[in-house]
Amino acid sequence: MSGFLERIAGKLKSYREPGYYTKLDHKWTMVIDLDKCNGCEACVVACYAENNLPVVGKEDCAKSRAFSWLRIERYVEGEYPDVKVKFIPVMCQQCMKAPCETGCPVYATYHNQDGLNVQVYNRCVGTFTCATYCTYDVRRFNWFTYKWPKPLEAQLNPDVSVREMGVMEKCTFCIQRIRSAKDKAKDEGKPVKDGDIKPACSQSCPTGAIYFGDLQDPESIVAKLAKSPRRYRLLEELNADPSVIYLKRVMGDGTTSHE
Amino acid sequence: MKRRDFLKFIGIGGVGAGAGFVLGKVSKPPGAKLIPYLIPPEDIVPGVATWYASACTQCGAGCGTLVRVMEGRAKKIEGNPDHPVNRGGLCAMGQSSVQALYNPDRITKPLKRKGPRGSGEYTEITWDEALKTLAGNLTELKSKNDADKLHLLTQPLSGTIDKLVRDFASAFGSSNYAHYGLFQRKNLAFANLSTMGSASVPHYDIENTKYLLSFGADFSSTWVSPVNYSNGYGKMRQGAGERGKLVQVEPRLSLTGANADEWVPAKPGTEALLALAIANTIVEKGLARDGAAWRGVLSRYKAKDVASICDVSAERIEAIAVEFARTRPSLAIAGDSVSSYENGIAGAIAVNILNQVAGNIGIAGGVMPNGDDLGGGKKIDFGRRISTLIAAMNADKVKTLIVYGANPVFTTPKAAKLEEALSKVPFIASFGSFMDETTAQADLILPAHTSLEDWGDDFPDPGVAAPVASIIQPAVGPVFDTKSLGDIFIELAKAVGGNAASKITAPNFAEYLKSSWKELYSRNREMAAGTLGFEDFWNKTLQNGGWWGPPRKRTATVSARASEHLTGGPARFEGEEGQYPFYLIPYAQTAYLDGRGANLPWLQELPDPMTSVVWGTWVEVNPKTAASLGLKEGDVVNVESPYGKISAPVYLYPGIRPDTVAVPIGQGHSHYGRYAKGRGANPIEILPYKEDPRSGEAALNSTRVRITRGGSGERLVKMEGSTKELGRGIVQTVSPAEFKRMKKEVV
Repeated sequence: MSGFLERIAGKLKSYREPGYYTKLDHKWTMVIDLDKCNGCEACVVACYAENNLPVVGKEDCAKSRAFSWLRIERYVEGEYPDVKVKFIPVMCQQCMKAPCETGCPVYATYHNQDGLNVQVYNRCVGTFTCATYCTYDVRRFNWFTYKWPKPLEAQLNPDVSVREMGVMEKCTFCIQRIRSAKDKAKDEGKPVKDGDIKPACSQSCPTGAIYFGDLQDPESIVAKLAKSPRRYRLLEELNADPSVIYLKRVMGDGTTSHE
Repeated sequence: MKRRDFLKFIGIGGVGAGAGFVLGKVSKPPGAKLIPYLIPPEDIVPGVATWYASACTQCGAGCGTLVRVMEGRAKKIEGNPDHPVNRGGLCAMGQSSVQALYNPDRITKPLKRKGPRGSGEYTEITWDEALKTLAGNLTELKSKNDADKLHLLTQPLSGTIDKLVRDFASAFGSSNYAHYGLFQRKNLAFANLSTMGSASVPHYDIENTKYLLSFGADFSSTWVSPVNYSNGYGKMRQGAGERGKLVQVEPRLSLTGANADEWVPAKPGTEALLALAIANTIVEKGLARDGAAWRGVLSRYKAKDVASICDVSAERIEAIAVEFARTRPSLAIAGDSVSSYENGIAGAIAVNILNQVAGNIGIAGGVMPNGDDLGGGKKIDFGRRISTLIAAMNADKVKTLIVYGANPVFTTPKAAKLEEALSKVPFIASFGSFMDETTAQADLILPAHTSLEDWGDDFPDPGVAAPVASIIQPAVGPVFDTKSLGDIFIELAKAVGGNAASKITAPNFAEYLKSSWKELYSRNREMAAGTLGFEDFWNKTLQNGGWWGPPRKRTATVSARASEHLTGGPARFEGEEGQYPFYLIPYAQTAYLDGRGANLPWLQELPDPMTSVVWGTWVEVNPKTAASLGLKEGDVVNVESPYGKISAPVYLYPGIRPDTVAVPIGQGHSHYGRYAKGRGANPIEILPYKEDPRSGEAALNSTRVRITRGGSGERLVKMEGSTKELGRGIVQTVSPAEFKRMKKEVV
């Protein structure tokens, strides 16, 4: 009996320890080596296939309604013949101080115990606040309920819900893959191993430019890469604390003008 | 348990299920019915995915795949991490093959033409009737002693299915079985045959090279085996060793060029001269490893003479030559833009000579020759080409034409008058799964399965300097009333009777494939090692997605005889410079390749890697050229060659020579389903009808064009806003020197 009380007391005490509420189970992190990425866009299709992203057609593309959760941005510097092109894959940066989370009136977007910025489709009422606040322009809105002509709908991934009109969505770091790996690890009574989880983009990448893992695990590949001297984060000065780490591309004389 | 082990474990279940498909026991997609739990199909556990190891057939590269199947439906295709070709990655087009399987515009039943040819009016018939009609036609040919007037035209097939079609044709009495495709790289194969004695594409060891000199090879997106090369590229840049350098020579900056450290925009048609001038400089400076034999041949190509023709300074040629020869190992590769001319093989041979002179052949990080170790590789026949078929059709030597996979009506210039020639063929049968432009001309359509429903095998060419044989197994049951391509031929052989029936005795293609592998197994000792007989080997093969052996060390020497194919000057272009001021570069685009990807919605909506344009065709024009013509982005222009014109909107592209315009191939379909039809323009239409006379490869870069405002093109829709960073430091860089100083990351 006293053991039980002690456990309860210990538990209550632990709540008061500093950092309890900000402690994470995992800190899922993506590292993208821009020196490996060649901009081939295999990851973009992988994301469409894995996450049931609808195809909106030419007219809606022209209105910036395309759904790609992951896009390859390209930047061109200089004029012919001294042209330099740079690519960067941009998806939800899973910010630890996410601007989008502060704005949602219905808590449809919040931070979970894995350090992920998640979106609850059933709560979303489509105020568009999060997309307006987002620093990285990665949120996508369902202006309509998109249909897949038969039998294309047979391809839809049953692990990912199909969204309807009026709902905001974005990259989840393939949370369904994270969940299933965690479930499996739990069933086996082991912790999730580095490399057990590969989001669709990382899995498909022909050059192997996208790494994924737990930053809290010091042995993980992302923890090692995160110490790279080439490391930087996108628009870091805005202090959203993104969970995607980029490794600088090696090119030119290094004095790029960022025009 | 590692993910890999997990997949293998699941694969064991897959073997039994694979056998289930043969017996036709596996349920079709459940549709309205619930899954029967009482006696469930063995591979269906609701909510749990089954993975089948197979191989991709979207292009010729032959990547290994893992198909994720849930409740009998294919959900996703991923690269097989164990497969030596793609090592886990898979390109955009390969991943989209699931949309080919479930495409709403597939041909769902055998069809018989009702209206006039090309009208698209068909009536649905049964398989019995379809096979009977075709067999009746073939029997009639035979009875009139016209068996040789049967022509078969397919996409480049390899392995067992190729053998079956070959057997069928020869047993029937026809010697006219030909492969046709737009990017067969016959020039490269011919160059390799005449210089190194093997008509195959060698393995280019990009992974281990330290200086990659690419002559227009867009290996990141479309060239030969993009996933394999991209994987190598990633390791070349950030692998264990020192970072390799990439230099790209091409008139239009491709995706690969965009990743290069240096871009050399040589004038179109002069790449071969540039390669030879580099080789000559290496010899002259005494840096050659094999110089003596080449001094005489190369002395005609002095850097200072060639410089003005190529529009590359002599100093730059020399600098490249020195760096290429001094950096060890280095590698030069000949891509489409050097070999798409009328003398296209000259470019490929010049690059082979360059590699020979620098000593790059047969070494790690260089050119590693492949051999057809398993005997299943693609058989390249330089004599059989689309031009010989058109000539035969015009001479009434084609009574019946069977087409599969190839779409010559779309991929042959209008100047070839292919449609006119086709109208002289009394009977055309297509085994296509989609109503493409060629299938739309058919009198009878017997729709074949897509690769996710069918059996097959693949012997990747180019290989990876190791023997590789992949297996293709059905991941799902047939979605529609279609048949395995092999089964169509087998049933046809039975219906035709005679030699064909006695030669092809297998009950179905799955059995034919298995016995063909049994033969392969008995020939190959390495396959037998570590297995308990053929059945055990076969099960393991189905589980792993194929069989691959250890690398073979091969070498070759480029023979000086090859120099006879070199031509002194630059390539010829149709159209007088005064009237037609711009070179036209039609190029293979990441998503559409030769047009085959245009019916898949994911690929239509995939932004082009260089321009971010979606759902259409565009004309790439240098901003300076556009300014001088008074054009701005999005303006619709006519692109006019001496052979016709197309219209499309302008995209201002700084990565193209001011005297060149480029148009992607792939759109402009008149058929091919709702996503492709009536969209964009097809640049092949306005090309002259030309090929390299020795190899038969189409000469895509062989005309000049003029550009005038007007035409009825569609609007330009692109996904990007600005291409400028505007000081935001989005893609940050470090210089190579700074990188060297940095501590190497541990990966």
